[in-house]
Amino acid sequence: MAKAPRKRPLKPRDESPAGAPPEQAAIDRPWRIGAAAIVAAGLAAGALIGFVIIPAGQKENAHLSMGHAMARSAGLEAGSPAVPQPVSTATAIPVSTVSWDPAIMNVLASGNTARGAAIAAQTCAACHGDKGLSQSFGPGPVFPSLAGQSPYAIYKQLHDFRSGARVNPQMTAVSQMLQVQDLAAVAAYYSAASKEYAAIGARELLGDAEIEKLANEGDSHRRLPACLACHVNNSGGPIETPVITGQIEAYLVTQLNAFAGGTRTNDVYGRMRDVSKKLTPAERAALARYFQGTL
Amino acid sequence: MPAARRRRAGATAGLQTSRLVTAHIWVAIAAFAVACLLGVWQMWARSPLTAPYHTAANYFRSVTLHGVSMAFVLTTFFIMGFGYYVAETALKRPLPGLGLAWGAFWLGIVGTLMAALSVISGDASVLYTFYPPLTATPWFYIGLVLVVVASWIWCLIMIFAMRWWRADNPGKPVPLVMFASVANAVMWLWTTLGVAAELLFQVIPAAFGWNGMVDVGLSRTLFSWTLHAIVYFWLFPSYIAFYTMFPRAAGGRLYSDTMGRLAFILFLLYSLPVGLHHLMMDPEHSNGFKFLQVFLTALVSVPTLLTIFTITASAEIAGRMRGGKGLFGWIGALPWDRPMVLATGLAFFMLFWGGGGGLINMSYGMNAMVHNTSWVTAHFHLIFGGTVVIMYQAICYSIWPSLTGRNFADQRPLRVQLWLWFIGMMVMTLPWHWLGLQGQWRRVAAFDYSNPLIHSWGPWVIVSLVGGIVLAFSALLFVYNLAMLHRRGIAGAPAAIEYAQAVHPPERVPSSLNGFGLWNILVALLMLLAYGWPIAQFFVYPPPQAVVHRLG
Repeated sequence: MAKAPRKRPLKPRDESPAGAPPEQAAIDRPWRIGAAAIVAAGLAAGALIGFVIIPAGQKENAHLSMGHAMARSAGLEAGSPAVPQPVSTATAIPVSTVSWDPAIMNVLASGNTARGAAIAAQTCAACHGDKGLSQSFGPGPVFPSLAGQSPYAIYKQLHDFRSGARVNPQMTAVSQMLQVQDLAAVAAYYSAASKEYAAIGARELLGDAEIEKLANEGDSHRRLPACLACHVNNSGGPIETPVITGQIEAYLVTQLNAFAGGTRTNDVYGRMRDVSKKLTPAERAALARYFQGTL
Repeated sequence: MPAARRRRAGATAGLQTSRLVTAHIWVAIAAFAVACLLGVWQMWARSPLTAPYHTAANYFRSVTLHGVSMAFVLTTFFIMGFGYYVAETALKRPLPGLGLAWGAFWLGIVGTLMAALSVISGDASVLYTFYPPLTATPWFYIGLVLVVVASWIWCLIMIFAMRWWRADNPGKPVPLVMFASVANAVMWLWTTLGVAAELLFQVIPAAFGWNGMVDVGLSRTLFSWTLHAIVYFWLFPSYIAFYTMFPRAAGGRLYSDTMGRLAFILFLLYSLPVGLHHLMMDPEHSNGFKFLQVFLTALVSVPTLLTIFTITASAEIAGRMRGGKGLFGWIGALPWDRPMVLATGLAFFMLFWGGGGGLINMSYGMNAMVHNTSWVTAHFHLIFGGTVVIMYQAICYSIWPSLTGRNFADQRPLRVQLWLWFIGMMVMTLPWHWLGLQGQWRRVAAFDYSNPLIHSWGPWVIVSLVGGIVLAFSALLFVYNLAMLHRRGIAGAPAAIEYAQAVHPPERVPSSLNGFGLWNILVALLMLLAYGWPIAQFFVYPPPQAVVHRLG
């Protein structure tokens, strides 16, 4: 391999910036001054228009003084134009008010705590089982399985029951007895206690090719996303999405019909209402059967 | 250069860097070919026709691989390879740090494989833009960081090659082609600071799970620092070919060497402090700073117009030397059968449309109408495919004989390939722009053609798909043309190429036009004023952060 040419010591800085002979410094000087002046002038012109002239033109309509208008244009003061917005008269639609802030995220990530275990034993286990494996397959009252769900999924529903975004005679009462921190603790408990069921989706699923395609690929012509694009843990979908493989068929079909009929409305952005309405009643039933699978 | 130094064991021709250059450019071309085929499938998936394997997950996986291959692998490897080639052929002496250059190559390969495997695994379907809170597996980002580190090594080799040459040749002007290549290296070092800060301090810690929350405004701002200048990084080789290869291929001379130096310096200055024009719809920045950066963006038109003037004048010189008469007669007299001449003509035509679309994007009010529509995607495909890639192809055709020692036996397949690329690009992107004006949104995996509004888009998407198929065919022909030269070319090509001479070759240039010291100071000043407060505000008034959303 050929060697790189030997480096010669560079000339002292004051002679010329580019190792050029001193006589070239003379032709370089006007270039340096000129270039710096032109660049500075361009910058000044842009700044003058952006930070002074445009705010001066806009201040009147926004009812701002020149000082505030300039400070806003420079990002030193925040806020939208000072015209008050009319108060909305629309009636509130009950939709989830859950929010994922660091305090709740930390409780949910803390897993199995004594507090969560105590609440679960007192209030939840009777219907949902010790580890969240429900044994109610209908007919009669149906309790969903909590096993294998993420703490976010369980917490989201508990929070919605508590706020009234989702309504169920038993769950509304239970969740309103508890504090928000308790809901998070019990959600974290159930998720951690049923970790061994996280692979519950490995069970054999039952469905014809068309239903399997809906679950795995969706239907782009109806703009139906694949169920499994979101409904598995760590799918990349919304964090609160529950796992549905292994869930009780009667529960799933009831929920799909409730979304389609508009009696359940706590899905953020109406995603499940949209999806459920596009599914035919037969498809809803078949998907519920498919996802329960064979035990 | 002594003959003994020029000959290296294993090199197919007399160039010391021929293996290094061909290795880099073949990696670039391999990524390009794969990305073209994926692109056709993506167009198919978005059309009313039923595409195989069409799921949203597959679509975004494919878009990510397509974008990463085109934007990071094709460009970075091509620019590195071409830079090494220029350093040896323009300075007419061995490249310093050849071993280091090979080290950088393998580092880039490792990084590329890490990123590619991450995308194929499905854990990195985040497209090629780094917009948290969505984060991919950390290996995706670490792989891309390795590619960037490899390119930094390239930058240093280029800068030192020029400095050491200048120290040995005091007072002599650095050849324009080398000056421009180093301008790109200097610009790239500035460019990558933004995305490097975003990845190292925000995205990679979030991807590993060390950060639960991330300030998305800050990450978008840091990414915008890189986002516009990276496009000029890709574009530089095209402009280098316009100034230093086209005039000679046309049989004439470059109209002005100084214009070339000025244009490259202006690109260095005004590609960087302008990134906020990508964030005009973002609420975290004030209107004053958005305006200032749009104003500076408009100044990029100066080097572009300088280039159009200089290259057109150079073409006129060539046309008249070839006997062209009258106001426009010189145009017909140009040797359009030569790939470099043909590609430059086609690139200018496409740059006209792409540049016009870009002016609309950078205008605050008009941007609001096309924001996040297919117009934007169509625009950057037209600029990238129409000015960047077609000139990369022409550069390959120009330098391949000196790398392989073989000449093309027949130039016809080369011309056919360039024409197909041009036709495909126009057929694909013009309807795509139109769909953007109709409101077709970008970054979606499928359209609901049962909706009557969307239904009316269907035929135009199919036209775009046809354009995409033509492009894929052209891409494969390009690979075939180059591969065949290795085996079937006519032996005896010279081991170097000559770059275009200026009408008045420079004997003495001011030091300012022979180095980057002054310009680095001015870039620092512009960046400080244009980006200082927009970045500092996130630390002075910390905004609420977003929960990190991890894939994989």
